[in-house]
Amino acid sequence: MSLIADEIVRFSSVLRISYNLLTGRDYLKRKKFREKKKLISIALPFSDLVYGFPNLVPTFPIRMHTFEMHKYLTYLGSASRIFGWKNVSNFLGIIKNLNIGDVNKIIDEIINDVIDAVNNKYNEMYELGIENGVPTDFCYGIKSLYGMHVSKGKNVEANLNYTIRCSAWNKYLESLKTIENPAKQIWIDIPPRNIGNALELLTENLYDGIRELEKISGNNYDRNILRNHFQVANEIRNYYKTILYDISTLGFYPCNPATFSEILVILNNSFQDYNSNAIRYRDNMASLVKEMKERIRNKIGMDVSKMPRILITPMFGGWEPKSHEIIYELGGRAFYADWDILLLLEEIPITKISDPVEAYAHYLMNATKNGIGCDNDTLTDSYLRLARNLRADGLVFIQVFGCHSISNCYAMLKDKLRRELEIPSIALNFNRIGENIEQVKTRLGAFMEMFN
Amino acid sequence: MDNLELLSDYSSFLREKKEEGKKIIGFISHDNIPEELFDAAGFIPLRLLFAGNDEFMDASHDYLPPSTCAFAQSCIGLFSLKPNQYEFLDLIDYFIVSNHCVSDICASEIISKRFDIPRLNFYIPYTNNENSIKYFKLELLELKKQLEEINGKEIKDENLKESIKKYNSFKRKLLDFSFLNISGSEKLKILQKAILYGPFFLPELESFFEQRSDNEIQTSFNSKEVLLTGGSIFINDPLIDLVEEGGGNITFFDSWIGNNYYSQIIANDILDSIKNPYDILVHRFKNNNFGDHSVPNFLENKILQLEKIYQDHLKKTGRKLGIINHIIKFCDHISLLSSHLKNRLQEKGIQVLNLERDYSRAIRGQLSTRIEAFLEMI
Repeated sequence: MSLIADEIVRFSSVLRISYNLLTGRDYLKRKKFREKKKLISIALPFSDLVYGFPNLVPTFPIRMHTFEMHKYLTYLGSASRIFGWKNVSNFLGIIKNLNIGDVNKIIDEIINDVIDAVNNKYNEMYELGIENGVPTDFCYGIKSLYGMHVSKGKNVEANLNYTIRCSAWNKYLESLKTIENPAKQIWIDIPPRNIGNALELLTENLYDGIRELEKISGNNYDRNILRNHFQVANEIRNYYKTILYDISTLGFYPCNPATFSEILVILNNSFQDYNSNAIRYRDNMASLVKEMKERIRNKIGMDVSKMPRILITPMFGGWEPKSHEIIYELGGRAFYADWDILLLLEEIPITKISDPVEAYAHYLMNATKNGIGCDNDTLTDSYLRLARNLRADGLVFIQVFGCHSISNCYAMLKDKLRRELEIPSIALNFNRIGENIEQVKTRLGAFMEMFN
Repeated sequence: MDNLELLSDYSSFLREKKEEGKKIIGFISHDNIPEELFDAAGFIPLRLLFAGNDEFMDASHDYLPPSTCAFAQSCIGLFSLKPNQYEFLDLIDYFIVSNHCVSDICASEIISKRFDIPRLNFYIPYTNNENSIKYFKLELLELKKQLEEINGKEIKDENLKESIKKYNSFKRKLLDFSFLNISGSEKLKILQKAILYGPFFLPELESFFEQRSDNEIQTSFNSKEVLLTGGSIFINDPLIDLVEEGGGNITFFDSWIGNNYYSQIIANDILDSIKNPYDILVHRFKNNNFGDHSVPNFLENKILQLEKIYQDHLKKTGRKLGIINHIIKFCDHISLLSSHLKNRLQEKGIQVLNLERDYSRAIRGQLSTRIEAFLEMI
């Protein structure tokens, strides 16, 4: 039985976010064909600018796929339209508590299917990427993203491309032009450093991007619309940070730690495009925080105060999704916070800067300068900052095969963690989901013994 | 002259320069580093143009995972092991951390940090548009400031302009040299030495021309003609021998050691019309269309360039050129688009071999076999 299914059904907000993740294809088809909206492909949490145009829909490309979704989740989705997600979730919780064998099995299957469906699709896209010419040398993320564009890129009007420090990433973005009938490419160059008037240049680059989006949208840019979106985006960030900083650091969790990790995984995935509907996503995040707090207040959940806190990172370029379950079985609690490490959960400073585009430029430059960094010294400091702030007892570093950017910093990071935080760390090699679980178990087993 | 002699002579050259009070700036060689600025500031630029081997790559694994660009691994290994012939690396006073690719950043940062060489930053934008060109100028001015702080004196514009002219003439001469009808290995040896020494090599290059015109040697090669694109063949790399042993002759080097370097000549009218020397360097960056750093048009530009060279060669000689796309293992820039480059050129009837390799000895047999099979097909 899944460790996670038991718990996730009690969070209607998580069910909703998962459902939105898996039913993206139907949602996006409706937007595209019925509502005549245009899809813009994004990856990494760079969707915000697209929300400045109500007839453009940002999408993380995997969401255009059909997932093998459990038929009962489809029924639940339909039921939720009538009874509301909360009632559906409560109903599932009651059934679960009654311990009726078959029904319990179905619920477990539903939730397992959400996770497995996403992971299977990622692996499928990875294979497609390789089949279509991405050399095996490159990381899991790039191979699978390329695969997503090969299979579904034709549905989008444009790819919104931000250059970052990773040269493989930038070249991957260029390589999207090699796909048959490529979508338009909109490039926004983020200067590597904040020197001279680099911030002004970035603001101009963003305006250039907006002009390209205007052409696709057919509507003029309206700063109020973008500003309003940034307010929503900031609320999302605040809820996300509340989960990370206020809830994940408590000694009592609203669910078991593996479920908590799973929720963080779902948030990490869905934050990239806010499930293509930022307001709906914001509302789901608000419910999630509320539900978590209510459960903690009612002492529903689990005492985790004696369990060591293990930061697993980076996971956005690919990682073994069983890792947190394994850590839980070994007596620890794992958490994920990639976007915060890279400072992408910082607020877009619209209260301080009146021009929203300029505010967004400040946000991006801050992430580049102080989060992602243009070198590994800055990047490793970001890991340290987060491990310190979130009081991590240990760090599991995912060394993704073919990642030449972030994976390369581990030697430096290990050294800094030992010297400055005095916490242990371990590197796990990753190539493809499900490929190396036994090795992951062995390595994590040895690592977790340090906390006994 | 073999490479041991080259390295030993280079070591003596650098020592002499140090005795003259010059400072040495090391960097992982790439085509957007403004060596003229170092020259104008009185520094000696030291490009890392040295190929790796198993030992160098292994030595880097204390710092980087093995799935890192084999050249970046080798650069770190060089500093880590520092064999006798490379002891001139101890003479480096400053090291440039730049971002030709992310492996450049990682390796340069490690070299600076682990081997206690003060670093200077120089970052290049990834795109090549109006704003990134402006950003490039910011970086140039920032680098200038760093160099001036070290020297405690200003770099005068006229000095920089002189350096630009000096390097320009040098590149012109190298371009002339590239057209000489000599074997690929002989050509490569001189190019490697020339780019290592910079304009200090000009007298030797000129005397090479004089000797050739005295003897008027017209060599004819029966080998298959090959254009090398992608990664450079660095000093101590036996790849050129493998090509020649397999019956090929590299007639065109489209790499850092080769056309990427000497094609970046600034036209005289530009030199005369642009007063600010930094704007001249910006102009050069803007026109660097065939370097592999920039996005999003690298692939298209490269295909156009290679097709033009191929057609010109065909028209001139009536012979076809084979193209070897040299891919250093785990190279982000050359590797990711390599299958597309090959397919697109082959659609135009141009034969391409994507030759991926690291610097291990064990792979040489396999490289020979692949090269021979390719040359047979031409």
